Amino acid sequence: MRRQFKETTTALAATDPRVAVVLGDVSVYMFMDFHRANPGKFYNMGICENSLISVAAGMTATGMRPFVHTIAPFLTERSLEQIKLDCAYNQWPVNIVTCGASFDYAWDGATHHCYTDLAILRLLPNMEVLQPGSRREVDALMRATYDSGKPTYIRLSDHPHDVETNLEFGKGTVLREGKSGVTVMTAGPILPNVMAACEDLDVNLVYFHTLKPMDRALVERFRHDRILVVHDAFGLQEAINEVPGLRTWYHGLPDQFCAWYGTVHDIRARIGLDAPGIRKAVTTLLETPSA
Amino acid sequence: MDSTCRRMRAEILDISFSSGHGHIPTCFSVVECLYAAYEVMRHDPKRPDWAERDRFVLSKGHAALGYYAVLAQHSYFDIKEVAGFGAYNSRFGCHADRTKLPGVEASTGSLGHGIGIAVGMALGERVAGRQTKVFTLIGDGESNEGSVWEAVMVANNVGLNNLTIIYDHNKSQGRCLPVTNPGERFRSFGCEVVEVNGHNVDALKEVFARPATGVRAVIADTVKGYGCKTLVDNVNEWHRKSPDAEQLAKLLEELHAPAI
Repeated sequence: MRRQFKETTTALAATDPRVAVVLGDVSVYMFMDFHRANPGKFYNMGICENSLISVAAGMTATGMRPFVHTIAPFLTERSLEQIKLDCAYNQWPVNIVTCGASFDYAWDGATHHCYTDLAILRLLPNMEVLQPGSRREVDALMRATYDSGKPTYIRLSDHPHDVETNLEFGKGTVLREGKSGVTVMTAGPILPNVMAACEDLDVNLVYFHTLKPMDRALVERFRHDRILVVHDAFGLQEAINEVPGLRTWYHGLPDQFCAWYGTVHDIRARIGLDAPGIRKAVTTLLETPSA
Repeated sequence: MDSTCRRMRAEILDISFSSGHGHIPTCFSVVECLYAAYEVMRHDPKRPDWAERDRFVLSKGHAALGYYAVLAQHSYFDIKEVAGFGAYNSRFGCHADRTKLPGVEASTGSLGHGIGIAVGMALGERVAGRQTKVFTLIGDGESNEGSVWEAVMVANNVGLNNLTIIYDHNKSQGRCLPVTNPGERFRSFGCEVVEVNGHNVDALKEVFARPATGVRAVIADTVKGYGCKTLVDNVNEWHRKSPDAEQLAKLLEELHAPAI
């Protein structure tokens, strides 16, 4: 996905002189050819995440369209106030792109984990919040949003899926339909686990890459179902539940630090977000119709 | 004291009295800095979005009332409009909002943000090839924030020569975390440092108008509450306090005394 991020910014910069890249000493080698092709538009600014956001906001004020990029917890949780005030309140449409969330750097411990980014940024007025799951989604959504006039958050993953989805900004995808009255909703790169879990189960499966604005019309279509939200972060279930009167369940993160090292797959397995764990949650709901 | 700056201080007192809002001592320490900057900057109140304008960011956003007095002095709006300072639905909040007021380049209030924004503006102006300047005013209390020093490092590392950081050295932070020897600190970060009397308009204008080869930090030696003895002698009591009618009369009398 990061490679796609680089390829799309390179393509955008080729036709739009306002595009620039501001890095926090991450993904630097990958952007060397962008740097060569776009002198004056590439800044490896330093390990100073607060300033990355503020400086990018100031650049935006002069007409530029920068993409700011580093590791998710440092750019979103550490710099939340800069995003809130310098991007959202000031109405400067900075593009914020991160890597590492939720558990791509499982081995680094909780300092490098990030699962609140989508939830907290979704709460800021004017923000667009995206969790693309595939390279195609990254490309389409970056192109759709980079000059939207609003600050945009795009969370990348090192574990993309390759599922064909609706690439339109702000729209979800119905990947399969069942008759049981149970709908599973999910977002981002966890999708393959959800698909494997539901492979032979009689459920609807709905997928999102855009958490704000939420595709409320699509959620409404399933308002009479019991909805199980499966997500390896916070934010999606809250977005879905803004549609009033739903019956939802959340199968996701526990209230604890998942600091067991290993890989993202180890973490997902331990908290029930591998395919068997998700399948268990879905079948439990299917088998308790009164729930 | 410069007669225009004296009049603007009187306006600040009147508005604080009528509205019940305002950080008067803070505003009084920066009136000359703000006024001199706007006297030197290339700007046009009839065209606040003019691409070739110089830009000013009030990083210490709580000096908004002083900022409004200076913007009104430069015809961005009428000072009479500022009477609604802090009132419901007024355009004039206790911290300025760039989406509500012409001439305000950035909405500030939380300390340590504006200087980073100003660095980005200076960088963007350079990339655009415009021969413009960016000024930002920061406080000594604000300089407790680590983000201030991040921004100073970034500004020097990218080699800006179109950014002037005005440091309001009113020594207010002696009460908790003082920033001693600010000139040395900015110099050690790579800035061209100029130290100047922050209440001398002509000296400030001369410094602001000088060409720079790097990031310029102007250490403006100021007095918090400058112009009224009561404020200077009681800065903590008056940090965010508005005068009643009797106090207003006394402060105006002090302000207009022949010697301060």
